Amino acid sequence: MNAKLDGEFREFMHARWPAMVRLAYGLTGDQGYAEDVAQAAFARAYASWARVRRSNDPDAYVRQIVVNENRNRFRKRRVPERLDGALPETALIDVPWTDVTREYDERSALIAALQRLGPRQRAVIVLRYWMDLTEPETAVALNCSVGTVKSQASRALATLRQATDLVDGGLS
Amino acid sequence: MIIDDERDLHERLEAAFEAISPHPAPLDDTVRWGRAIKRRRVALAIGVVAAATAVAFGVPSVVHRTDGPAPASPGRPPTVTVQAPGRGAQPGEIATGTIDGRRWWIVADLPGTNGAGPGHQDIIIAGPAVEPIERFPTMPVLRAADSLGPVSFTATISGGVQIQVGAVRANVSYLRVRLDDGSVLTLRPVTVYGTRAVAFAIPAGAQITDVVAYSRHGEIASAVPFNQPGGLAWFVSWLRPGQPQAARASGRIASGTGWSATAYLGPWGICIPVVDPQPVEVACVPSVPASAVVLNLDQGGTPEIAGGIASASVARVVVTQPDRSTAEVRLVTVGSHKFFAFAVHPGAKPLRWVAYDQAGKVVASSGR
Repeated sequence: MNAKLDGEFREFMHARWPAMVRLAYGLTGDQGYAEDVAQAAFARAYASWARVRRSNDPDAYVRQIVVNENRNRFRKRRVPERLDGALPETALIDVPWTDVTREYDERSALIAALQRLGPRQRAVIVLRYWMDLTEPETAVALNCSVGTVKSQASRALATLRQATDLVDGGLS
Repeated sequence: MIIDDERDLHERLEAAFEAISPHPAPLDDTVRWGRAIKRRRVALAIGVVAAATAVAFGVPSVVHRTDGPAPASPGRPPTVTVQAPGRGAQPGEIATGTIDGRRWWIVADLPGTNGAGPGHQDIIIAGPAVEPIERFPTMPVLRAADSLGPVSFTATISGGVQIQVGAVRANVSYLRVRLDDGSVLTLRPVTVYGTRAVAFAIPAGAQITDVVAYSRHGEIASAVPFNQPGGLAWFVSWLRPGQPQAARASGRIASGTGWSATAYLGPWGICIPVVDPQPVEVACVPSVPASAVVLNLDQGGTPEIAGGIASASVARVVVTQPDRSTAEVRLVTVGSHKFFAFAVHPGAKPLRWVAYDQAGKVVASSGR
């Protein structure tokens, strides 16, 4: 890649890094993992930068990789092979909801509520209502139908509205 | 929480995410990583040319394959081949092969590089069979010791292809993988960054009938995996030569709004996939516990699903949910074992459970 393209990529990454990390954070709830995912997405964009910049929407390219990387995270599985009395309890103790009641400010409560959604519902909320993608754009990003986006959004919104811990925390 | 409208939700999300302060953009590291990806793509392209040249000039290969590649035809199972890396293979290459004549490569990154933390490495599958290139970051470094058997398999699905990568114990000379169409793949371990490894790729719909591991002196062990419908093959238990296989049985153990859990018993052990409505998680154990065990069946789901297996002596299992509610779960017999599953109620407390026998005596509980 020549110096001009290299500089162009760096400028793009510098400008869009916070947004992509926040997108990945919204999908995962884990800032460290979010930065890893965002960096992997930008690295792939760099490897194809000549083509990506011609698409006139490098943001969409990187966004798509972030969504895919997050999906891969849920596809990757290792078999829990051993019967270990500590295994299931440890796993359950580690889930995000254990922290919900510790912080009652609105932001952390909303993030916690998001993390209780399923991966796809969470992705729909983040893409549709934070990134302001249209339903068709969200469907493309998630590789599903517009109908699925609508139904998942509806269910996710209903769940968020019923997030009783947020109501209890005095949020309106 | 009251969400008045979409704009309100947008503003709340905006405020929540704005509070996240990312570290400075790792520009130089990312550019280096991107250059490495480009170099790898070039290397793979060269590999395609080299392979094509070898075929054109009739160069003998070290292919361990099925009946030989044949053009795909409608209704015919895809032809799958696999071979160990040949001369000039790129660093980290574990195996290459074809699916219906379209080539794939499976390559391991040097552990701890390309953003993978200590103890982790990326596994890359590339080639026309799986375009675009897929990179599975932060996979724990392959270790044969992770398995009770001769091979520790790690699996993933991407682009309609199931990929299995395994770390192999030192006494294994080769493995034979039998697919449901009767074809057989022979896997020869190669040493990659200090680990003996094998890998293969098959179409996502194909099922693995069994895998047999051989030493120089003969069969060591075999495994019949649990083939998740439309999903991965799960290797849980290994059988010694001549060891009888457990009988197969299956049955729905519980369901709720938008989810269901089914227990599958067989030569693999016990596997419980949860469907909500897509198959998303599988929990497997090699054998029935002495008393009872509770597993997290679907941590990413909504709701999250937990469930377990109980021995014949267990009569009741009582669960205390994270929201502090308590209930007895329904035990369902599949084969000769008892199973249960339930939706976890969100709350601040860890899940607790107690298993009782007929006399009301506690035979197992969380934390014991």
